Amino acid sequence: MKLLVVEDEAGLRDSIREYFTEEGTICEVAVDFEAAVQKISVYRYDCIILDISLPQGSGLDVIRMLKAARHPDGVLIVSAKNSLDDRLLGLNLGADDYLTKPFHLSELKARVMAIVRRKSFDGQQSVEFKEIKMDLPAKTVTVHDIPVKVTRTEYNLLLYFIANKDKVISKTAIAEHLWGDEMDIADNFDFIYSHIKNIRKKLVEAGSKDYIVAVYGMGYKFMEHEAI
Amino acid sequence: MRLFEIYNRVSLLAVVAIILVTGVVYYYTIGVILTDQVDKDLVVEENEVFDYVRLNHQLPQVFKSNDQQISFTPVGHSVVTRKYINTTFWNEKEKESESGRGLISSINVNNINYQIRIIESKVETEDLVRIIFLITIGLIVLIVVVLFVINRILIKKLWKPFYGTLQQLKLFNLTDKDDIEPTNSKIEEFKELNNAVSTMTLRVKDDYQNLKHFIDNASHELLTPIAVINSKLDTLVQTGNFSERQSELLTDLYETVTKLTKLNKAMLLLSKIENNLVNDSQPINLKNSIEASLNLFHDFFLDKSLTVSPYLEDVTVNISKSLLDVLLNNLLTNAVRHNKAGGQVVISLNEYQLTIKNTGADKELDGSQIFQRFKKSGESEGNGLGLTLSRQICTSYGMKLVYNYAPPFHTFSVIF
Repeated sequence: MKLLVVEDEAGLRDSIREYFTEEGTICEVAVDFEAAVQKISVYRYDCIILDISLPQGSGLDVIRMLKAARHPDGVLIVSAKNSLDDRLLGLNLGADDYLTKPFHLSELKARVMAIVRRKSFDGQQSVEFKEIKMDLPAKTVTVHDIPVKVTRTEYNLLLYFIANKDKVISKTAIAEHLWGDEMDIADNFDFIYSHIKNIRKKLVEAGSKDYIVAVYGMGYKFMEHEAI
Repeated sequence: MRLFEIYNRVSLLAVVAIILVTGVVYYYTIGVILTDQVDKDLVVEENEVFDYVRLNHQLPQVFKSNDQQISFTPVGHSVVTRKYINTTFWNEKEKESESGRGLISSINVNNINYQIRIIESKVETEDLVRIIFLITIGLIVLIVVVLFVINRILIKKLWKPFYGTLQQLKLFNLTDKDDIEPTNSKIEEFKELNNAVSTMTLRVKDDYQNLKHFIDNASHELLTPIAVINSKLDTLVQTGNFSERQSELLTDLYETVTKLTKLNKAMLLLSKIENNLVNDSQPINLKNSIEASLNLFHDFFLDKSLTVSPYLEDVTVNISKSLLDVLLNNLLTNAVRHNKAGGQVVISLNEYQLTIKNTGADKELDGSQIFQRFKKSGESEGNGLGLTLSRQICTSYGMKLVYNYAPPFHTFSVIF
């Protein structure tokens, strides 16, 4: 998977690159409008993470150029502007998704993965992780091809974990993913625990290994390798 | 009362008063002049009598004409004072009495004193005065009518540009694209007014744009560093192997950054609403929105073992979807946050209002304080902007948000 991060804020740019760079994923960066234009005129990316407010230009123009050249690259806009107009404009120009700053890297990753899946050659309909298989249109989960009955919350949680496998995901990130960032109940995340307990139990009972581990009370991690 | 109505009233009253005064003055002046004229005629007649007596030493024959009567009365030795009198004149022909002017004089004929009484009809004089009076009245009516018409038509036309400008001002909306149109009046004052208004609205629009940009910039400038902190935290926790103490600190950091983010977002949203920058209202079925929100809150209700009873009717309101979500989430968050374990939440929606009742502390909140910014109860985990935001959202859509307490329920009502 090949990604491009167009972001002028060095701190954010480096964090994104570090978070996304792993085996099988190349993450390139562009620090301003010019650099972004040069990159997209030469290389193709599975997904471009694009800040709209750039020095020397608007990220919206980058989208216009991509679309004018009929490049198929996926585009995820990240912006500090949470105005409906900007959001609609970006999406109408052909961006695939819009994420408002600040965001959790795990949320960004989940969104990017969704775009990449949609954009992939056959419009990938499922997500597979070892014995676990998730059917996206039907929103169902199977383990070793045996259906597992999961709630909507558990389904979303599992998809989120698989997109961020081998990463520690904080409880606030999970809460914001499940209930939206408008929800202002930061005081109590206990019920996240019960959802995670449930999905772990269901997967293990269906014959899957237990991949989810709690990390120091901070958050959770979906391990490639079985927890010891 | 309109300016030209007042002006009209004053000018008409003044004109009528002046004409009336003039009429009265005319009446008396002409009366005096004409009486004077009649008096002269009387003297001429008197002199004729004197001449006749001097020549003939006897009284002239008493004759009557249409407009003059002379009579002689012997008066003995009493003295007759010469004087003019106003009296009546018997018109033989017309058989009616008319007003007349008389001269009383005396003459001595053959040692007998006679009183001479010459009376002349004033009917012609009075006719003249009457004509003058009618002409005056006619003039008053004519002037009043002409002034009225002029004021009505001309002044209305003259003020038209003023009302045009006024109308545009009334319809002026900051978020609209159109400016105040220039007026084509020839009147200097109205041109100036229109120019001043145009300049002012342009400046206001300019300031408004600046404000809008400032909000955008502030949003960007504040949220970007927060985004960096957030992403650095996300990166930091990947580095692994923390002690329990370090994990606690990291968890606290996460929570604080989340609060900071929410606070910042709430402030930006509040300022946006206060500046009317959110204008994407559309008809929304409230029942559906509330049901969606209740779904979202399912876990939160469950967590506190709350009994939730919705009584919802189909109601459609015009509101921005995002603001409605903020409003519902804030009110429901409060209903959960300030509830006690095992408590109740009652939500009812009808065409007049939406009420959200919750059990909680057995003490009424201070209704005047709770909607103010950053006023919150000591134990609340919120950012102190939730109710301020909610009320602002309601206000900007012409709705009211009120609080009341009827044990055991704290009630927040959105009145449409």
